[in-house]
Amino acid sequence: MNSEKMNDAMGPGQAAIDAALRSISSATPSSGLEGRILTRLAAERTRMETTPPRRPLFARPLFSRVGVFPARALGLMTACLLGFVVVAGSVSHSRHIKSGQGSAQPPLVLAGQGIGAASAVHPAAPASAPVPAGQPGRSARPSSPGRARIAPHARKAPGVAVPSPPSSHRSDSQN
Amino acid sequence: MSCFEGQLASWVAPAREETVDTTRTIAALVAEYSTALYRVAFSVTRNAAEAEDAVQETFLRVLRHESRLGEIRDYRVWLVRIVWNIVLDKKRRAKTRPEGEDIADHARALPSADRAAVDTVISSQEHGRILELIDRLPAREREALLLSAVEELTTAEIAAALGTTESSIRSRIFRARKELALLLDKEGIPR
Repeated sequence: MNSEKMNDAMGPGQAAIDAALRSISSATPSSGLEGRILTRLAAERTRMETTPPRRPLFARPLFSRVGVFPARALGLMTACLLGFVVVAGSVSHSRHIKSGQGSAQPPLVLAGQGIGAASAVHPAAPASAPVPAGQPGRSARPSSPGRARIAPHARKAPGVAVPSPPSSHRSDSQN
Repeated sequence: MSCFEGQLASWVAPAREETVDTTRTIAALVAEYSTALYRVAFSVTRNAAEAEDAVQETFLRVLRHESRLGEIRDYRVWLVRIVWNIVLDKKRRAKTRPEGEDIADHARALPSADRAAVDTVISSQEHGRILELIDRLPAREREALLLSAVEELTTAEIAAALGTTESSIRSRIFRARKELALLLDKEGIPR
């Protein structure tokens, strides 16, 4: 690197950077590094020579005698068989569960109500009491244009209060 | 040196005939490049023990792939690439910045014969701060700058090791130095 030119181009800070980088470039290993490396290499070579190299499964004597293609076909067949066993077992297990739990389930449809199973579990609240017969409708259309008025004898369920219209409203609507 | 030759002989002796050549080649590579590789590793790890481990691991990989030795055109670039990958991998796994500057390393690295011990420690601390700033640079610029610090490597070799062109390396180093100067200004490090 042409560091002097760079220093000129980029200012005085480069001297400090160069000094820091020099601390890296002048780093020296502790004495005997080569010897330690060679010792480790010797140990590694001994280990490599004593330990047989790992061979892939299909390169092992059993498969090399049988041949790669038959060995692969055998493996594929075994995998298919295992898959079939797993699927068949799963299906038969689920059927077994269905038949065991069928009677405990709630009826799908309640007779005469036309509601589904979920509604059968949570039935709706009973309807309110019927309005007594002979009473007029809940509201009466006004004879003159204006706001609808609630009739004083409106049909309503027992216990439901109906507010009586204020007299001023009535006079307004009449006017 | 006699110790070195003795170890080399003990290593070569038990080897089979066909491995003798590669064994001698590897021993020659160790003798020629171990220091340069140590510096490359040290530029990233900033730790003597880790740098030495990386160099040893480099030659172990060479031994495991000794059958490929004949195919290699430039041993220096090949070895630098191996050690560079090893130290970056270690650093990635550690997920931390270099743990503490090894003051003993700085003391060993600096020409302390003509300096007072206090000056040495102070300057090594300053260098440590600058090296921390280098770690903040973008990866590409940082890598080019650190490898440029290793005097044994030319720009062409750095480019080959990083898999890029010489002009790209030059511009990365330029950008790195410029940005580093700005960071120095910001941090107020005396220059």
